[in-house]
Amino acid sequence: MIYLYDGTKEGFLTAFVTSFQDKNALLASSRIQLQIGAKPLIVETDFCVAKRAEERLTSFDRDCMHDLDRLLRSGDCDRDQTVLRYFRFLAEKKRSVWNMLSESAVIAAYECIQRVNIEIHRMKGFVRFTESASGALYAPISTDHEIFDLILPHFRARMPRFPFVIHDVKRKKAAVYDGQHTFIAPLDNAEILLSENELQWQSRWKKYFQSVNIPERERLKQQRGYLPIRYRKLMPEFQ
Amino acid sequence: MISEKSLTILTESAKFDVSCPSSGSARKNAGGIGNGFAAGCCHSFTPDGRCVSLLKILMSNDCLFDCKYCMNRSSADLPRASATPDEICELVIDFYKRNYIEGLFLSSAVHISPNYTMEQLYLTVKKLRTEYNFHGYIHVKGIPRADEEIVRKTALYADRMSYNIELPSEQSLKLLAPQKSKESLLLPMKKLALEKQIFKEEKRKGHFLPAGQTTQMIVGASPEADGQILRLSQSLYRANGLKRVYYSSYVPVVHDSLLPDLPGGALREHRLYQADWLLRFYGFDVEELVPAGENLSTEFDPKCAWALRNMNLFPIEVNRAPLEVLLRVPGIGARSAYKITEARKSALLTFEHLKKMRVVLKRARHFITANGKFYGTENPNAVRGLLAAGETQNFAVQMNLFTELQPAPHFQLYSNAETARSALTGEL
Repeated sequence: MIYLYDGTKEGFLTAFVTSFQDKNALLASSRIQLQIGAKPLIVETDFCVAKRAEERLTSFDRDCMHDLDRLLRSGDCDRDQTVLRYFRFLAEKKRSVWNMLSESAVIAAYECIQRVNIEIHRMKGFVRFTESASGALYAPISTDHEIFDLILPHFRARMPRFPFVIHDVKRKKAAVYDGQHTFIAPLDNAEILLSENELQWQSRWKKYFQSVNIPERERLKQQRGYLPIRYRKLMPEFQ
Repeated sequence: MISEKSLTILTESAKFDVSCPSSGSARKNAGGIGNGFAAGCCHSFTPDGRCVSLLKILMSNDCLFDCKYCMNRSSADLPRASATPDEICELVIDFYKRNYIEGLFLSSAVHISPNYTMEQLYLTVKKLRTEYNFHGYIHVKGIPRADEEIVRKTALYADRMSYNIELPSEQSLKLLAPQKSKESLLLPMKKLALEKQIFKEEKRKGHFLPAGQTTQMIVGASPEADGQILRLSQSLYRANGLKRVYYSSYVPVVHDSLLPDLPGGALREHRLYQADWLLRFYGFDVEELVPAGENLSTEFDPKCAWALRNMNLFPIEVNRAPLEVLLRVPGIGARSAYKITEARKSALLTFEHLKKMRVVLKRARHFITANGKFYGTENPNAVRGLLAAGETQNFAVQMNLFTELQPAPHFQLYSNAETARSALTGEL
């Protein structure tokens, strides 16, 4: 049986409980293309069920809801199955399993979380802000995993006086900091009126990037490993 | 706003400084812009594979000194430029705001006099911290022979300072950088380490080089062997409490009869870094790795070479070996060792498990047993053969009927026999 849930934490927990007795359960969230003729069971999110499941699972492992949050942010195509297997294993063992690193279910979840965490770390460096005429900063990002709101606190701590927007162009959502509050909003297209000096600073940054390179020591493969090409389309130094 | 031309000149002149990381300081944002990020953060990567973390720039490239290996030496014919403290500060703030950089790496050629130059660096850093209210990462280069009071004052504003040793022996310094001496480099390093200790003990307010000190050595411009270089590094780590030593394989930017015409080579630099990591993170002592007058093996990585010399200590059982022993197995690094120590708490590990856990077994399998089973080769000579780094010839191409044969590259030594000898012995 295929269980279709909405991709949220509560949705997952409901689906987890609903599918618990079904040994051949397949979990899918709405983003995934189903096979022709497949008759999935659409799981209606039940907040009471979800709350009870959360309490029970948390009693086995205090940090498992944090792990769940990271896992559900992953953009991997087999993510739902990875989450299901990990939490079934947790429910089976009835104690913290995160350090049982020789178990397949744990390895898959561990690696999935790693990939999300690595992207969070990378984006703290690769985000590029453009300054608008009003002084607010705007950064479009296009990430594999849904992390745009997780990197906001990092920038808020270092630039508390500048309002800024981090726009996930893939998921059409934005994390906004208006100088005091932070919130998440749907955002399709953003048109930015550039500040007076913006292009001059961008061109200086490009010049800097070119001149700090040592052409005699070209190592493009290494560069690709550290800074994959898919991220470069939104970085001024590669345009 | 600094002009593009000056920016290019001052960056071009700074690019051979290897050190760029922004790690080690967790300075808090005190109401301005910026903070430290203890893990460090890379913002971009240039085509040479190096990370861009800090804005690496010189205040001036107009140098008084005439170090033979340096592109900014006084006798070089090169466009010169200088930047004002305000130009630098403005550049840092505007780059930082756009998240291009993590902070500033400020260095300078010795302009007018060592004291004048150090003073300029100090003024810039102070201005950036106090007037521009910047709390991000700042790395400042120490100028040899500058007054220690200015250096001390600079350290109060910087996160990290560094004096570049550049050449790993007194003789080479005399030969290639006559205005510098061992004392002019090592003494200020010691002073700063001492100051930091006092600062900590007295629990004074503020910061004093929270990210410590580093240094850099050029490899391949002078004849010192890896063994000698690594001994110097180890003593710097242990006696002076340095955070890192950088090795920069020599790139011939200037032609001089005292310098080699060929670059130092990336492999040698790589091996030195591997050995350096073993010294700092894997509990190795330099005596175990390489004798003083010898180079590291190019064929095997230093840990593998050590293990092959000490085959009598292996194989070890992964389910029982303590962490420090696991870390000595070739192919098992910090991450794999961590995974093994965690996983074996709940299961008896077999080779299948290790494979699933992505522990790299290419080298390790000759040195470990998993649940009593050994999957390697017992004969040490066979292991040696299996693990020797494959020589790849990157000039090899698929030929067709019309390909003209290219002569294979020939290897060249020092420019001529006589200067080569003087570079080797340090005698002029």
